[in-house]
Amino acid sequence: MSLLKDKFLFDVFKVNLNQLVALNNKYGWSLNLEELKIIVQYFRNISRNPTRAEIETIAQTWSEHCKHKTFNSPCVLTIKDHRGKIKNIYRFKNLFKETIVYATEKLKKSYCLSVFKDNAGVIELGKESKWGICFKVETHNHPCAIEPYGGTETGVGGVVRDILGVGLGAKPILNTDNFCFAFPDKKYNVAKGFLSPHKIISGVVSGVRDYGNKIGIPTACGSVFFDDRYLYNPLVYVGCVGIINRKDVNKEVLPGSYIVVIGGSTGKDGVGGSTFSSQDISENSTSSHVQIGHAINEKKVIDVLMKAKELSIYSALTDCGAGGFSSAVGELASETGALVDLDKVILKDRDIEGWQVWLSESQERMVLCVYEDKIKELEKLCEVEECQMYIIGRFTNDRKLTVKWKGENIVELDMDFLHQGLPKIERKAIWIEPKMKNKISKISVMDYYDRFEKIISDLNVTSRRWIIQQYDHEVIGQTVLKPFCGVNEYAPSDATVIWTGQVCEDFSLFNGFAVACGMKPNMSDISPYEMAKYSFDEAIRNLVCVGADISRGAALDNFCAANPNNEKVMGEFSLAAIGARDASVDMEIPYISGKDSFYNQTNIGSKIYKIPTTLLISAIAPVEDVRNIITPYFKKPFNPIYIVGSFGKGFGASVYGRLFQNDNNYISPLNLKQNRKVYLKLLEAMRKGFVISAHDVSEGGLAACVFEMSLCFIGADININEIIKVYNITELEVLFGECGSKIVVEIDLKNEKEFIKLMKNFPVIKIGYTTKIPSIVFKDNGNILFTSDVNKARQLWERNVL
Amino acid sequence: MGKKRIIKKPKVIILRACGTNCDIETENAFKYVGAFTERVHINEVLKGYKNINDYDIITLPGGFSFGDDISAGKIFALRIKSLYRDFKKFIDSKRPIIGICNGFQVLVKTGLLPYSDFKQRVTLFLNDCGHFLCRWVKVKVNKKSPSIFIKGLPEEFYLPIAHGEGKLIADDIVSQKIISSNLDVLRYIDNPNGSIYNIAALTNEFGNVIGIMPHPERAFFSIQFPWKTREENSVGFHFFKNAVEYVK
Repeated sequence: MSLLKDKFLFDVFKVNLNQLVALNNKYGWSLNLEELKIIVQYFRNISRNPTRAEIETIAQTWSEHCKHKTFNSPCVLTIKDHRGKIKNIYRFKNLFKETIVYATEKLKKSYCLSVFKDNAGVIELGKESKWGICFKVETHNHPCAIEPYGGTETGVGGVVRDILGVGLGAKPILNTDNFCFAFPDKKYNVAKGFLSPHKIISGVVSGVRDYGNKIGIPTACGSVFFDDRYLYNPLVYVGCVGIINRKDVNKEVLPGSYIVVIGGSTGKDGVGGSTFSSQDISENSTSSHVQIGHAINEKKVIDVLMKAKELSIYSALTDCGAGGFSSAVGELASETGALVDLDKVILKDRDIEGWQVWLSESQERMVLCVYEDKIKELEKLCEVEECQMYIIGRFTNDRKLTVKWKGENIVELDMDFLHQGLPKIERKAIWIEPKMKNKISKISVMDYYDRFEKIISDLNVTSRRWIIQQYDHEVIGQTVLKPFCGVNEYAPSDATVIWTGQVCEDFSLFNGFAVACGMKPNMSDISPYEMAKYSFDEAIRNLVCVGADISRGAALDNFCAANPNNEKVMGEFSLAAIGARDASVDMEIPYISGKDSFYNQTNIGSKIYKIPTTLLISAIAPVEDVRNIITPYFKKPFNPIYIVGSFGKGFGASVYGRLFQNDNNYISPLNLKQNRKVYLKLLEAMRKGFVISAHDVSEGGLAACVFEMSLCFIGADININEIIKVYNITELEVLFGECGSKIVVEIDLKNEKEFIKLMKNFPVIKIGYTTKIPSIVFKDNGNILFTSDVNKARQLWERNVL
Repeated sequence: MGKKRIIKKPKVIILRACGTNCDIETENAFKYVGAFTERVHINEVLKGYKNINDYDIITLPGGFSFGDDISAGKIFALRIKSLYRDFKKFIDSKRPIIGICNGFQVLVKTGLLPYSDFKQRVTLFLNDCGHFLCRWVKVKVNKKSPSIFIKGLPEEFYLPIAHGEGKLIADDIVSQKIISSNLDVLRYIDNPNGSIYNIAALTNEFGNVIGIMPHPERAFFSIQFPWKTREENSVGFHFFKNAVEYVK
């Protein structure tokens, strides 16, 4: 293979396919054959050879990470039953548009101020509020697998910059984090060169802690899910919520304005990060792709931006993430054009090539479109805040991207080709339904308590205090409902509630918003469709528990899957996407942002380790008055306890199933249209003041839920007989089952009659009352199933993992 | 400036640096108790754009000034030391200074606490647990302390902490002196970080300078409390109110 010595890598008129593929592998572009052909054709048409910088720019722009080409592809999904007989075939021209976008467009909610066009969607904070809230969740899985601390830090930094880049710059005010790990208390035979779950967890948690705390944004909402299949591919979701004045929601790039970079210097770090994230992990993956963040640099950027926005110094901005300047400038200038001179860039590395400067993913940089006459003002601001800034060029109106390095043009590309030239490849997807079995082995009543103990000390149920206490979840003084609440902060909350009066500097306002999440990845093996619905329902149910207004809410979809070239992986994924679509439509809650991350699989020798298709649903909804939120812990003895919602059969994807009955994979489908009605009715009861505590039933089932509500010294006496009769399910399914969707509520005794009247025709069952002593009792009519001393059980539940 | 002036609306300077992050809520607390507030970067003072002696109260809010590189609050303290004359004038005029969390660390490292003579005598070191800790803790007020900030506080109450380096360390002589002259304003009831004598807040001998490790600005509005209590709501209010009342 002959390479031209200087800036051209190959001759488009002479190169053959084999040589192209060899180059692609050598330079790690992650381009496929179709794409390589189109690139060659483009340069043949303009009769010249491409430069290295050009090919790298195209590879980054077209990478899975930047363009999400798998989700946007045409797709044929074949569904077969467990015998292999074809049940259904679905055809999509664009899977993403026909699922996620479809739901949002169908619902057409007027409170959505901006969706699918900016870094993150924006919704109204409340009716006719002058504020909007935006929410974005990202994954940083590949970096965290090989360098957890740096990977997580830069993940947090990246999503915060995403929010800073919304409109004219939203103010980031809340961070979220959701993790999927393998069990740290289990012995795995970890392959050489890979990190143990314990190392990964401690790196990830310290990464969120050190970066999140230092930039002064509370990290106050999250979850952790443990499953063996995350051993080599941990998932790290990092999210950020921002607040923005409605008038600042749109940006405009004006030709003639300066292209200004503020924040960190540029070096060779992270070159090729997005192409690295668009392939499987193997023994050869190196941590040199992963950087270490610098939180204070990002904090300076935030401080400068918030002031610069007030002073109307710029008319548009975006973050520098994957692809560096190439994607930041490329995106901002996609409608105009840009002329960039890379010699103006402040470098931290002298031994660097032009294309590397252009593609560097050095952290903590934002790109601004600054008015010509405002440059001096920005310079002064940056001087006081000790923040670097450099002017790297101007926006033009020639619809061309021109980049200079040492006086020569190294990129001259048409914007249209760069952004629209990507070919689409049809994906094949297949899903084979497993055989469902609802086997329930009878056990002696004597063993119920033992099972309860094992469940509340299982890592998917235990307290997350060991993580949460390391995060500053109180900074800005706005976290009204914190991750823990109740006396001594003993009880875990369902959602986080933020009071926005503090950042809006208006103490007469008592409105705010709630954020919650849901995921059920181990259901993907049984039904990816139901998995998506369960995840969606859990997130919304959590919002309902605190009394947030879900009729003005929004959701985020964050998918993670293994290699999509595998038809079965694509089958799981596409079916999950259909489930996500139906969940959103049925619940009438639109998606405002989302992301998908593929290639979460590791190839070691001939063995392939794949994650289950994982969907994180994050949900956000306004809270009219944060003084009236509902918390989960029992408030007073002798109050009636009710269960709202419906039970289902089966132990599929439950903690009980995994521990004691793994031959049971039965799950009951959800009816989300019905759930929406129930939730809205319950919210009405809450507004009327009937409900004084509410907690959702999730991992560990009803028993774990009632236990968590009793953590603040008020116990409960529960009789499950009525549930057994109504739903025709076993005692074990009532106590520990996770199917169906239900919320346990404590009703103020004096309002009980009115509560019953209001909830007539809705699935509501009285299950007991609160007691004075800190213990819980479960009965089936006259038979005591088990009792538990809460203070003793607390010791089991408050497990420290690190 | 030395003698007491009659001020209608006291002016508070919220002195910040790169990495300060509790400035908004601290400013809001002062606004709420009727002060005129201004958030000023230390560089604006160093460049002479602003003068600290134009204000009645100085506040050093929490955060990670300059990333807490070297040690918490150290670099910020060095910059303040270069303004030695200005700060001396401010303290000599008995005007209040309140340092919260990182602000406390800065005051200690500047040598403004426990004695306001620009000599460092104590330090705040890594928590015994070895990492950052954020939770609510119960504290007790030393009513005998000369601090001007504690009027109206209940004897015991809850405040949130959020710090990695909050363990107060001093040698025996200094710590004995702190205790015997009642310079310990607040003590933890359940010590979260290993501080000597469970100290959570320090004052100077006159009482106009306070450094406090927990965050009163995060316990300022009753909705900030994690559970409902009768008497303890909005306890943080007193610290700010007392400062403003004092200079009025």
